[in-house]
Amino acid sequence: MTEPPRQITLAEWDSRFEAGTAAGWTQPDYGGPLGRHIEDGDLRLSRLLYDNSPAALNLWNFLLTEEVRLQAARAKGDKIVGAMKDLGTVPVMAYSLPGVTAFYPDGAWWTPCLMEFSSGVLHGADSLGIDESFCPVRAMLGAFAAEKHFPAPDLLICSVGATCDDFSAIAQRVNGLGHPILWWEIPHRRTPAADETSLRLPGGFTCPLDQVVFVQSELERIRSSLEAVTGHRLTEYALRRGIQAANRVRRALRRLRTMTFTARRCPLPALELLIAEMLAIHFCSDRPAALEVLTGLCDVVQQRLAEGQGYFSEDAVKVFWVNPVADLRVMNTLEQCGGRLCGTDYMFCHALDDIPENIPPMEALARTALADPMAGSAIDRAGRICRDITRYGSEAVVISRIPGASHCAIEGTVIAGVIGERLGLPVVELEVPPVCDAFMPTLNTRLGALIETAKGRRTS
Amino acid sequence: MICAGIDAGSRTIKVVLLDKDTLAVVGTGVADQGVRQSERAMRLLDEVLVAAGLRRSDLGRIVATGYGRDSIEAAHTTITEITCHACGVRRIMPQARTVVDIGGQDSKLLRLDAQGRVHDFVMNDRCAAGTGRFLEVVAARLEIHLNDLGPLAQQSRAPAAISSMCVLFAETEIIGLLAAGIGAADIAAGVQSAIAARVAAMAGNRLAEPVAFTGGVALVPGMRAALEAALGRPVSVVDAPRLTGALGAALIGADSARSNH
Repeated sequence: MTEPPRQITLAEWDSRFEAGTAAGWTQPDYGGPLGRHIEDGDLRLSRLLYDNSPAALNLWNFLLTEEVRLQAARAKGDKIVGAMKDLGTVPVMAYSLPGVTAFYPDGAWWTPCLMEFSSGVLHGADSLGIDESFCPVRAMLGAFAAEKHFPAPDLLICSVGATCDDFSAIAQRVNGLGHPILWWEIPHRRTPAADETSLRLPGGFTCPLDQVVFVQSELERIRSSLEAVTGHRLTEYALRRGIQAANRVRRALRRLRTMTFTARRCPLPALELLIAEMLAIHFCSDRPAALEVLTGLCDVVQQRLAEGQGYFSEDAVKVFWVNPVADLRVMNTLEQCGGRLCGTDYMFCHALDDIPENIPPMEALARTALADPMAGSAIDRAGRICRDITRYGSEAVVISRIPGASHCAIEGTVIAGVIGERLGLPVVELEVPPVCDAFMPTLNTRLGALIETAKGRRTS
Repeated sequence: MICAGIDAGSRTIKVVLLDKDTLAVVGTGVADQGVRQSERAMRLLDEVLVAAGLRRSDLGRIVATGYGRDSIEAAHTTITEITCHACGVRRIMPQARTVVDIGGQDSKLLRLDAQGRVHDFVMNDRCAAGTGRFLEVVAARLEIHLNDLGPLAQQSRAPAAISSMCVLFAETEIIGLLAAGIGAADIAAGVQSAIAARVAAMAGNRLAEPVAFTGGVALVPGMRAALEAALGRPVSVVDAPRLTGALGAALIGADSARSNH
């Protein structure tokens, strides 16, 4: 029998770490007490509740040491590739080459989520004219300007086209700061006309063959640039190996999600699951370690399921969550209000689906890029969400908006409408800014009311 | 046994006392909200108890709702105002299928099922533009008492067009309208229309009739008509609309007390 799952504070984690280490816990090279990250400025950590498993500690430590890994990669002589507005395609290509570390500069939007205002990245963006009317991803601009949080990339790649306006504006400012960007276009995914060849994409969407051919040609430009920067050829064989390795991470994550979402009692809290899902995008700059972290979490969840352990009561309302939150506390709040996470669409579902392994790799990557739920219509995205809601038996839906993010402005209303029409479930829309202390009472009311409504419907 | 519902709203606290068995309302009270929310709520509760010839020891269950519900230390349980308003309306106007609640700080729209339970809901989260706070800001700008705003609006012949998106922008617009010589009555009526438009936008196609109107703003003369015009359908102000949430809380308390019994 393992220790029963329990949400603990940062201080409890540090005591637990001390006791665990004395009892012989082994730690990965990025391991250590969670509280040390507070000294780096990750102030928000002190206000969260955490899963008490060592695997969860590894997850957090892995997430919070990416900067160290990137600096180490630079010191080792690796080529650093920043893949912006790319939620899971270009990093697969980059990691197929030797001596390359890819990362996700847009991930800097998480910096204020963890560091509140102490990092100064938002103020940095303000001073460059990108204020809070823009998406919090503007933190990336502040990070580039301050030359902190990640080393200057050897190659910076960014998609444009069917991406949000805010992001493009911010990325252009990064380019203007002297960080040249290789732009590639992702077209708006459309339904094939009757006389066009239709291709099925991972995740179930379809698009015309022409669009796949076009995206593949864009990815070929990226391949050439990666080869030029690294001095290595990106062969079909290397790409196939890279895709297989990426799929191993995706499968581990899918397994973790499926086990958690379908369990009678919740085996892993929403917060840890949110962080775990983020690993699928860019592997936190270390793909093998990302796989180990996810495998460790899967083992914990499997063990808890086998022992009948879990969080909250079986009565907890199953909630599907759309879009990631900027203030992580909200995930704790959902559970405090009587809900549990049963399904998510954090805008990168295509990074959870297998990249096809039975077709030429560049075509497979092109299809995966086009499967991005954000590259098509909100109705299409809502369709996939409805499918997953049904699959996981979710009883209520939260759609969180990120203030200033243009892709969220009206999409939530469209998705809520489709869910209402097709499934008749209660939906609540929330707006969650990066530091939302003053909003917590109203967020609490909305989540609480959603849970009460869903419970009330059980007896209907 | 007596059950108490306390609605700790953003502007006022409301208390309803209910007989658990007969469900008769035996006392009500309203007081301004303050910094020490729990203290104020308990003082009001004591006043209402005394007025009803009751004591604290007569109380079985206390259920708190509203924005400040978690600060009411004496509450046995807390329930969101969404559920409480639905419960209150189910008692007062059981045929209602939509509830519009406009309070001091937010506005909500609830769709009810045939049993009067919440089917779904939306809340205004952008700005105070769809709330009673808008009326307060405008009354201050027009240098009149809040209670006089409704009667003033009813004198309007041509309501001014005012933004429903942001109270601060609207205030700037009002300064411009005053400078342009637009009358205070037309501005007051324009503000009522703006609040109603905000609620209508929030409603989208979620409306089902009959529509019940609750919350303090429902007491403002002219607001019901403004809401009817914006929604394009009849709206009924429930009895004692300020007390709907507290009534719902007391009813939930009574239900819980009966179940436990």
